[in-house]
Amino acid sequence: MLAAAAAWGAGSNGPHAWWSGPQVTLLGSPSRDGRRLSFADPATGALGVRNLASGSWQAVAERPAGSREFAYFSVFSPDSRKIAYAWFNSQGFYDLRVTAAEAGAQPAVLYRNEEAGFVQPCAWTPDGKFVLTLLFRRDNISQIALVPAGGGAPRVLRSLNWVYPKKMDVSPDGRWIVYDNFAAEGKPERTIFLLSTDGSEERRLVDMPGNYLFPLWAPDGKGVFFAGDNGGPEEFWCVRVEQGRAQGPPRRVSGALGRFLPLGITDAGILFYGVRTGSPDVYLAPLDNLTSGVQPISTRFPGRNGAPAWSPDGRRLAYLSRRGTENFGQDARVIVVLDLSSGQEQEVPAAMAHLERLAWSPDGASLLVSGSDGKGRGGLFLVHMPDGATRLAAAEHDAPFRGYEAAWAADGKRFYYLHGGEELRSHRLADGAETTLLRAQVMEHLAISPAGDLLAVGIGGNAIRLTPLISGNTARLLPFPGLTELAWGRELYAGRGAELWAVPLDGTAPRRLGMPPDRQPGISIRSDGRTIALTAGREQSEVRSIELPRP
Amino acid sequence: MKLWAWLLVPALAAVAGTLPVPLGLDAYMPVPEANPLTREKVALGRRLFFDKRLSSDGTVSCGTCHEPERAFADARPVAVGIGGQIGTRRVPRLVNRGYGRAFFWDGRAASLEQQVVQPLANPKEMGDSAAAAARRVGVAEDALRDALASYVRTILSGDSRFDRFMAGDAAALNDAERLGMRLFTGKAGCSTCHLGPNFTDEKFHNTGAGRGTDPGRAAVTGRAEDRGAFKTPSLREAARTPPYMHDGSLATLEEVIDFYDKGGKANPQLDPEIRPLHLTAEEKAALAAFLRALDGKVREAWAN
Repeated sequence: MLAAAAAWGAGSNGPHAWWSGPQVTLLGSPSRDGRRLSFADPATGALGVRNLASGSWQAVAERPAGSREFAYFSVFSPDSRKIAYAWFNSQGFYDLRVTAAEAGAQPAVLYRNEEAGFVQPCAWTPDGKFVLTLLFRRDNISQIALVPAGGGAPRVLRSLNWVYPKKMDVSPDGRWIVYDNFAAEGKPERTIFLLSTDGSEERRLVDMPGNYLFPLWAPDGKGVFFAGDNGGPEEFWCVRVEQGRAQGPPRRVSGALGRFLPLGITDAGILFYGVRTGSPDVYLAPLDNLTSGVQPISTRFPGRNGAPAWSPDGRRLAYLSRRGTENFGQDARVIVVLDLSSGQEQEVPAAMAHLERLAWSPDGASLLVSGSDGKGRGGLFLVHMPDGATRLAAAEHDAPFRGYEAAWAADGKRFYYLHGGEELRSHRLADGAETTLLRAQVMEHLAISPAGDLLAVGIGGNAIRLTPLISGNTARLLPFPGLTELAWGRELYAGRGAELWAVPLDGTAPRRLGMPPDRQPGISIRSDGRTIALTAGREQSEVRSIELPRP
Repeated sequence: MKLWAWLLVPALAAVAGTLPVPLGLDAYMPVPEANPLTREKVALGRRLFFDKRLSSDGTVSCGTCHEPERAFADARPVAVGIGGQIGTRRVPRLVNRGYGRAFFWDGRAASLEQQVVQPLANPKEMGDSAAAAARRVGVAEDALRDALASYVRTILSGDSRFDRFMAGDAAALNDAERLGMRLFTGKAGCSTCHLGPNFTDEKFHNTGAGRGTDPGRAAVTGRAEDRGAFKTPSLREAARTPPYMHDGSLATLEEVIDFYDKGGKANPQLDPEIRPLHLTAEEKAALAAFLRALDGKVREAWAN
């Protein structure tokens, strides 16, 4: 089914698995001849090209030794000889670059601008002269732009406020761009639009109930394929297109494909797609019986949960639950509160675009949520319970979209948080006044003692600093190499990957606790100090293909 | 060839049948299917825009208040119509309104076609119906409406130093302007509302600005929470077209920045996005410098 110049068949070939394992990322695309796949190698940061038949691969763009640069989204040119790709540069933002699809080639920068600090190349025009690219500006708009592949200023066709298409593609005749966008303002559902490449026209292509996204042109230009659902499992669809207009209603062209991300369609009509597998979930375990007492929580949406947080009274457990379609690791999440006594679950409608971590206020009336809002501000937000009313706590435009790590003070009148990884701040709720408690390089992870008199702060990834909150006491440093998280119950707990350790405050050796081998970051200790809520279940990606029918 | 010269080429390259847009604006501009953009209509609209016969006493044209040399606004705090009647709101700049989704300070028109006829009938502005105005200039009422809307769509401002910077000319902004740009999208939070190529979210916010008791958006929606809310104006060409706010109550950019730095003016409907900014004097100056870098070239009717 993988013949380079194979004619487009009848679409009868079922799913074929090409690649699985920890190296798999879903940020690349297949070459149009179906022989190779571009990808971002998570281990080395390199832009890689994988020979799909043999499984061998080579790096075509590598980072300098000692740097933290890396490749991200990439897409092959129509002749399969070049790759346009996003590159996280040494200045801390993304360039749009192009390179020959072979080792040793010299990359060229097509676009570099910190004010449009993230770029996503999506497709090439058929003549290979432009790269269809999403530019993400600091004012939180995305722009559909054609960037000259030979250098020059981008031609911005369309700006979108507070939203970005999940995928875009150029028609084989070069006249139309297909992309997804919200179907209506204020609604989460998306649908498919066409935009002429000269900017003169825009049309809605798909007009039916449901959520539709990730569009790709059929290689013969006679239709558009896209992912979506109208209440059932997510499937692949097709709508015939002539002269930029839909010809008849869309039809399903696949069965349920699981949690999938379309990567690209070859000239022979083979759809390559990524599938996410694995079922992370929240588990409870008694701290005195960790080896056999681990039990999953009861939930309506198993296999998609994490980031647990106990309420102060220990009766409720809040956690984050993934919803909707895949999105390159930035999936939509909702807050769920589980009442342990009744088993009832309640979704809390926070007005946020991304949620990362939860922390209950000491009075149990609200959650301090790390993440970002729909206007591009990252940081900390207060989400009132149970109505979800959301307000900024310590959020700003320059903050990371995953927000800040934070811990409540025992009296609930302030919280502490790590700002920019180099500053430990105290934030007073009444008036927003902030003070700096500590400056240090590379601070990560934060926990407060139950009595509220000590803050544990990770320093440089290899030590825990105990910072007294009562004047007169002195700070102490506890060595802990490989620190990945902190929590505090009866003891101070520190994560090192999947491992969890109890760390004595007197400086004696930490004690390793029995944990599931696929434990993920995200633990919370119940107020009685006896029960831990944890996340376990590893997610993996796999690249598969199916042959599509003609439109 | 200077660096910025090649940057201009793609943006100025006209596509047959479509409006060439200056650097920094979207190539796509929404145009109603019922009123496609044609050179003939734009030419008619341009002529009508400056025709004083559209007003009941023959003294006021659209261009009387929307002066081309002032980015199609004027220098007065509030509009002055026929017979010297004083209005209550500032004359808005007309640049880039083709990209708009809501028109007038209170958003009472949803399209340019709805917007352009309302000043004709307003007794304080031009004082007669659109039908009567059309008869006086010898065109059909629909043709008058469509031509004026088409002409306004061609009034564009772009190719500012900010636009050149975004297109890749790193030298287009100086250090102060770049600091101001950082503040604009960061600490000062201006881009929460003033965003995108046209620096507006096209939505309505109560900042507490103004001297009077103008109900603002509430006059359209009837909702108490919209009281005192006005549409976010574009910031293109703002620096050279004072005064500011919906009633022209602030005379300079510096006054505007001070106003927002203090968190606007407290009132029950104050937008929660408006809060004290704690800007330093240097930061305020940088913000003003950045706003001045948004002044570009205004063009209309396919003319450069």
